[in-house]
Amino acid sequence: MNLLADALASGTVTTGEAVTFWILAPIALGGAIGMVLARSAVHSALLLACTMLSLGVLYMLQSGPFIGFVQIIVYTGAIMMLFLFVIMLVGRDSRDSLLETLRGQRLAAIGLGIGMALLLCTGLARGIGSVTAVGLDEANANGNVQGIAADLFTKYVFAFEVTSALLITAAVGAMLLAHVERRKGDRPGQKELSRLRFRKGNYPGPKAGPGVFATSDSVATPALLPDGTESERSISPVVPVRELTPAEAAPKGTDGGKRK
Amino acid sequence: MTTMVSADTLDISFPEVDYLALAPLLIVFGAACVGILLEAFLPRTRRYSAQLVLSVVGLVAALVTIVMNVGEDRPAFAMSDGSRVDAIVIDGPGLFLMGAIVAMGVIAVLLIAERRVSAGGAFVAHAAVAADSKADAAQARHPGATEVFPLTMFAIGGMMLFCVAGDLLTMFIALEAFSLPLYLLCGLARRRRLLSQEAAMKYFLLGAFASAFFIYGVALLYGYAGSVQLVDINAAIAASGNSQVLLLSGLAMLAVGLLFKAAAVPFHVWTPDVYTGAPTPVTALMAACTKVAAIGGLLRVFNVAFGNSGNPGGPSLAWDWRPILIAIAIATMVIGAILAVTQTDIKRLLAYSSIANAGYLLVGVIALGQALGATLFYLVAYGFTVLAAFAVVTLVRDSQGEATHLSRWAGLAKRSPRFAVIFTLLMLAFAGIPLTSGFAAKFAVFSSALEAGQTSLVIVGVLSSVILAFPYLKVVVLLWLSQPVEDAPAVSMPGFMTGTAVTVGVVFTVLLGLAPQVLLNIVDGAGQFLAK
Repeated sequence: MNLLADALASGTVTTGEAVTFWILAPIALGGAIGMVLARSAVHSALLLACTMLSLGVLYMLQSGPFIGFVQIIVYTGAIMMLFLFVIMLVGRDSRDSLLETLRGQRLAAIGLGIGMALLLCTGLARGIGSVTAVGLDEANANGNVQGIAADLFTKYVFAFEVTSALLITAAVGAMLLAHVERRKGDRPGQKELSRLRFRKGNYPGPKAGPGVFATSDSVATPALLPDGTESERSISPVVPVRELTPAEAAPKGTDGGKRK
Repeated sequence: MTTMVSADTLDISFPEVDYLALAPLLIVFGAACVGILLEAFLPRTRRYSAQLVLSVVGLVAALVTIVMNVGEDRPAFAMSDGSRVDAIVIDGPGLFLMGAIVAMGVIAVLLIAERRVSAGGAFVAHAAVAADSKADAAQARHPGATEVFPLTMFAIGGMMLFCVAGDLLTMFIALEAFSLPLYLLCGLARRRRLLSQEAAMKYFLLGAFASAFFIYGVALLYGYAGSVQLVDINAAIAASGNSQVLLLSGLAMLAVGLLFKAAAVPFHVWTPDVYTGAPTPVTALMAACTKVAAIGGLLRVFNVAFGNSGNPGGPSLAWDWRPILIAIAIATMVIGAILAVTQTDIKRLLAYSSIANAGYLLVGVIALGQALGATLFYLVAYGFTVLAAFAVVTLVRDSQGEATHLSRWAGLAKRSPRFAVIFTLLMLAFAGIPLTSGFAAKFAVFSSALEAGQTSLVIVGVLSSVILAFPYLKVVVLLWLSQPVEDAPAVSMPGFMTGTAVTVGVVFTVLLGLAPQVLLNIVDGAGQFLAK
C-alpha cells in the first residue's frame, strides 16, 4: 500500500494499477449502462452489484482500503442483497411500462444525457489532467482507518451525528408507509378460516406433492391422481409444466410390466 | 503492519464545542428524537397532545437559545491544534435565518396540528392502507398519524443546519436531513391521497436527482480546492493553480442542487404538482421554511465561497457565475409570473407565485453582500404572508375537503366578509401594494440591487411584479364582485391554532408594511456572513 501511495504521490501510475484500472473500469461502466438498459429488475440489480464491486476494488487501488471494503460489505453485501430480496418479494415478473407518456421524451433524454456525459468527460479530462494529487501521505500517515476516524470525530463530528437523524427519518418513514396496524376484527378467526376451507370448489385436504417417479423426480413433473390424471395443483405456478419426452414417458420395465 | 504500530500513537482529541452555539440545533433534533420515543411508548390517545406540546416547546426553546447567541460570530467547533473547522458557523445572518425558520416553524406546526377544521386533521391515519380501498374509507374519521410531528421537527432541524453549515459536506447532510422528512410529509394527505402520493414520489425522485448533482459538485470542488470548507474554496479561487474547469463545473452542479430546492426555473417543474398534492399545512411549511433554508444556503455559498464577501473587491468568481444566475433569475421571475396568470387552482397559483418569488430572492443573492439584509427581510415578509395564505386556504371547505378551485371561491365575500378581507390583504401583500410587507420587501431588495449595479434585473423584477399582480387581483375581484356559485364552499371557523397562524401572518404583513424599519434594523445589525 505504501508503495502505491509513493507512486501516486509522485504522480506516476504503476503498471499493476493501470492494468487493474483498465480491466475494472470498463466492467464498472458496462455494468452501469447495463443496469439502465436491462429489462428485468433482477438483471439490473446484479449489474449494479457488479459496478459497485468494481468501484470497491478501484477505491482500494487508490489507497483507500477502508472505503473499498465498506463499499463491498455494505453496498454490495448488504444493500444490494436487500434490494434483491425486495425485488423477489415484489415479484421478479413486475416490469416497468415502456410506454412513453411524453412523445419523444426518451429520445430527447438519451440525446441530452449523452451530451451531458460528453461535456463532463471532456471537462474532467482537461481538468483532472492538470491537478497534482497531494496530501495522500499525510492523510494515511497513521493508517487509513485511523485517518478517517480522525476526520470523522473532529471536523465532521456534527455531520456524522446528524446522519443519525437521517436514519431515524428513513426508518420511521418506511414504517409509516408500509406498516398496517391490524385490529382485532381484521384477522379472520378459526370459524371463518374453516368455512373458507370447506367452501364449494375448494379441496380441503393437503395438496399432492410433485411427482416422484422412477422416470423423473423433477418438481416440474405433476403428480398422478388415483385415477391416473395429472394434478395441476401439485406444481408451483411459477414452474412451467415440463413435458416428458416419449423416451422418458415410456415404461422402463421397473414395474414388472403391470403398467402400460 | 505499519498501521498497527502507529495506531498506538494516534491521538484524536475531540474539538472544543461551543454548546451554546449548538444549542438551537441540539434542542430541535433532540425534541424530534424524543418525539419518536413518545410514538413508541405512549398510548395512541395521548400521543397527539404530548407531541404538540413537545414540538412547540422545543421550537420556542430553540428560539430562545438563538436569541441568546445574538452577537456571536465564530465557528461552533475549535480544534485543539488551532486548525480551522467550519462545520457550523454562528454568525449574524446564520442566526437570523435559523430564527426565521424556527419562528415560521412554530406557525407551521400549529397548522399541522389543527384538527378542528376537518375531522382528524389534514393527515391520513394509516398511510400504508391502499388509497380508495374499503379500509381507507373505514379510516376516514380516524385521527391523523402523529408521526408527522417528529418528522416536521427533523425537517426544521435540517433546515436550520443548512443555513449555518460552513462546509459543503455538512451542508449536504443537512440538505438530506430536511428533504427526507418533507418527501414523507408530502405523501400523507388525508384527502385526494393518490395525488398526494404522486406528489411525494415526484418530489422524492427529482429531489434525489438534485442531491446527486449537489454531491457531484462537491466532489469536483474538492478536487479543485482540496477542501470542502467554504472559506478554503474562496481562498483557493485566489491562489490555486488547478484547472478552472473543475471549479466551474463543480459550481454549476452545486448550484443545480441548491436552485432545485429554491424552485428556480428551470428546476421548478416539481413545485406546482408537489404544492398541490401535499397536505396544505406541509405546503405552507415548504413555501415558508424550505424557501428560507434554500435561499439561506444559496446566500452563504455564493457570498462566502464564490463572492469573496470577506474581502469585497478582492479576487472572486462573481464575474463567471453572475451572467448565468442573472439569466436564471430573469427566467424564474418571468416564467413564474406568466404561468401564475393562467392558474385556476389557488394552491397552484401560490406555487407559481412561490417560483416567481424565488426569482426576486435570487436578485438579492446576485447582488451579494449589499443586498443581504434586504434578502433576509424579504424571506421573513414573504414567509409569514404565505403561511397565513395557506392557513386561509385550509379553511375554505366543502363536502370534498378543501375547495381549492378558484371558480368555487367566487363571491365568498358575501357570505364571509371577514375571511375575504383577510385574504384580500394577503393577496395585496403578494402583489406588492404599498403599506403591506410585500411592498417593503420588494422595495428593499430592488433598491439594494440597484445600488449593487443590477439595473437590468431590477427592471425585469418590477415588470414581472406587475404581471404577477394580475392573478392576485383576479382572485380579489373574484371574491368580492362575482356571483356565488351553487353549493358554494363554506369558510370554516378557524380553531385556535389556525386562527393563531392567520393572525400572526396578518399582523406581520401589516406591521412590516407600516413599520419595516423595525425588522430592517435587525437585518442590518445581523451584518455579513463570517468569511475569514
